[in-house]
Amino acid sequence: MQNINNQAATPHISTQSTTISKTLQLAAAFVLGGVIVYAAGFVNTAAVHNAAHDTRHSQGFPCH
Amino acid sequence: MLFRQIVFYALLMGLLAGAVVTIVQTVQVVPIILSAETYEGAEEPALAPFKAEGHTHGGGESEDADAWAPADGMERTLFTFISNTITAMGFALLVLVAMFATRNLTNSGNNDFNWRHGLIWGAAGYAVFWLAPAIGMPPEIPLATTAPLEDRQLWWGFAAICTAAGLAGLAFAKSPWRWVLALLVLVPHIVGAPHHEGALFAEQPPEAAAALEALAQQFVGASAIANASLWIVLGLVGVWALRRIVVSTDRSTDDEAFSSRV
Repeated sequence: MQNINNQAATPHISTQSTTISKTLQLAAAFVLGGVIVYAAGFVNTAAVHNAAHDTRHSQGFPCH
Repeated sequence: MLFRQIVFYALLMGLLAGAVVTIVQTVQVVPIILSAETYEGAEEPALAPFKAEGHTHGGGESEDADAWAPADGMERTLFTFISNTITAMGFALLVLVAMFATRNLTNSGNNDFNWRHGLIWGAAGYAVFWLAPAIGMPPEIPLATTAPLEDRQLWWGFAAICTAAGLAGLAFAKSPWRWVLALLVLVPHIVGAPHHEGALFAEQPPEAAAALEALAQQFVGASAIANASLWIVLGLVGVWALRRIVVSTDRSTDDEAFSSRV
């Protein structure tokens, strides 16, 4: 009930913050995707390299 | 919540694409890698150790030989499946964000996404993450003598980013800018990929080098097919996911607008 009242009292702020947070959420998802691809394809730690070895060769990521 | 939805569908896409790619790879890519590894010195373990400062596989000294590696067979296939899936999840996040962010930008203004859009997005992902880097640096098999790893990784990223920007310009910018931006696709190839001087398998005995050359050529084709299967799945499932995400975010936006009016 409290929440509904708050939303009703601040319609503009809530609409605007939805728009901003959508952009932020998209950016966050994009960065997460980039970090994941980097970790799987580029990190040089021996254990990560060995686990992902065949994937890296097959994907055409530079390996070794 | 948009972030949670994109992540959820990206995980699903990654799992599906990872499974398909692992099957395709196991049939036609991995046998080539394993054949190439048979030419590695007998003193080397099946999965040749990674050397932080070096880049060649069969260089001889192996100070990292005791680093963990999955055992050949089921364990190695399992780890390949896991890393395929993780990689595909990363790609899925990137392509879903790109699809969602540009869904209203197409010149036709057509918001009704179908399987053709899926194939186009899949083709774009394939061009960015496989074709463009592969034109400069064909996918390598173990034992190939190559330029330093860091140089190749940098160029790989550079090629992917330029190609993504060029294709985005071609698809979404207004002329004449679209044609200018499209030229970005050529930049990494004008700059040129880092290459090692001399023969690809110079460190190997002549017969081994000849056999490895043949394997290397087969490998490019096998990798092309495996990656095509990856991007077909990501594109098609991506469009299905996008439609579901758009429907639910539009509904929640309507809900918010409604509740703010009340």
